[in-house]
Amino acid sequence: MAEFKVGVISCSGEECLGGTISRLATRKVLDELKMVEPVTLCLPLYLAGGKEERNFARVYPVITVDGCHKCCAKRSTEKYSGKVSGSVDVSEIIGEENALDRKTVRNKDLTAEHTRMIDRVAGEIVKMIGNISPDAYSGKTFHGCGCNGE
Amino acid sequence: MVEKYAVLPCNGLDKCAGVISREIALRLCGEAGHEIICPVFSRIAEVKYRKIISEHPLFVIDGCPTRCASKLAVEKNFKISNKITVTEEAKKSGIELNDTLQLREKEQALIGIILNDLMNTGNKVTQTIEETGVSCHFDYETFQKGKFLFRVPVNKEIFFNENDCWAYVSGNRARIGVTDFVQQNLSDILFFTPPEMGAEIDQFGEAGEIESSKSVFELITPVSGKVIAVNEALIQKPELINENPYELGWIADLELTAFENDKELLIGFDKYFEIMKRKVNDLNG
Repeated sequence: MAEFKVGVISCSGEECLGGTISRLATRKVLDELKMVEPVTLCLPLYLAGGKEERNFARVYPVITVDGCHKCCAKRSTEKYSGKVSGSVDVSEIIGEENALDRKTVRNKDLTAEHTRMIDRVAGEIVKMIGNISPDAYSGKTFHGCGCNGE
Repeated sequence: MVEKYAVLPCNGLDKCAGVISREIALRLCGEAGHEIICPVFSRIAEVKYRKIISEHPLFVIDGCPTRCASKLAVEKNFKISNKITVTEEAKKSGIELNDTLQLREKEQALIGIILNDLMNTGNKVTQTIEETGVSCHFDYETFQKGKFLFRVPVNKEIFFNENDCWAYVSGNRARIGVTDFVQQNLSDILFFTPPEMGAEIDQFGEAGEIESSKSVFELITPVSGKVIAVNEALIQKPELINENPYELGWIADLELTAFENDKELLIGFDKYFEIMKRKVNDLNG
């Protein structure tokens, strides 16, 4: 059983390939990672004011995954829930030219190259999670209502 | 479907419905040349999308009833021309979505149905209000409880049901809406889903819904009829229902089909006013 939870917020971007890769890599981590319990936080819901998402990100360590240097996920998370425990900029991994490619890709059209990109980004997310000290988790019990147990 | 939409999907990552919303948006853009609006980036850098949204009607695809994409659009004052919610479309088609984020056969079938509906029949496109000749004039009796004021029209043309909905009858047409009791209880109304234009609705059938942060209210029409107009202003400004649910906050106009029969099950001002006062007192002690 996982020892602690980690939130992963992906940019969900549709502007460029980097967003697609960030989204798919986040899903890969969610599906395959067993060392901790990763929880994907829905960024559109988070932005729309989802209290549970925002409160989760205040209490648990969060890794943001952004498709490009605009870092929408990181900026939004830090705005509403405080500093993140780690952030991945996909454009630094797959190259800015690839990340900013405006051709969005549907899942069924993924190539072997795309799959390699997803694997590399997923690997980076896993590494970030591995770097989180269990101390980062404050020990507070998570309450969806945001009371932090008080 | 109109020539070109700006498409804003919820793009949610934690439910299958969100994944479907993304897939629909990508296919609309890839196959039919519509413009996609990233729900995340549009919030951070809306200037980028202002031009697209000013030039094309905005089509919002929400995955689930949380309606994040709609909320983000409303927050940015984007004018929504048309919207769907994937879970509602699935329900209408009798398709149960899976719990994973994978698009399997059933989900692909739903995507096909929705796209076909959107691209071929165009029946999701919001209809504009037509002049229907339902002319209303209201005089009110009021009832105050604490800081809340409840208005009820006294006019003889207006009829109520016990579901807190009204119909103002004019010739063979009627305008319908909700009463002050509904809007006060819902508090700030955030969303309005109109009844479908041309739909024939039986008495006590559902004729659209309104939603606040507290709950969703289905309007139960007091009269049977065919929908000949909807109050499109409410799509952008559902708060008009809070301002006055009888005048600017009306819901739809119907062409009556069985009013003489319907009338037997309706009540007038005197009876509804007493029922409403009792409900208010029951709720507030």
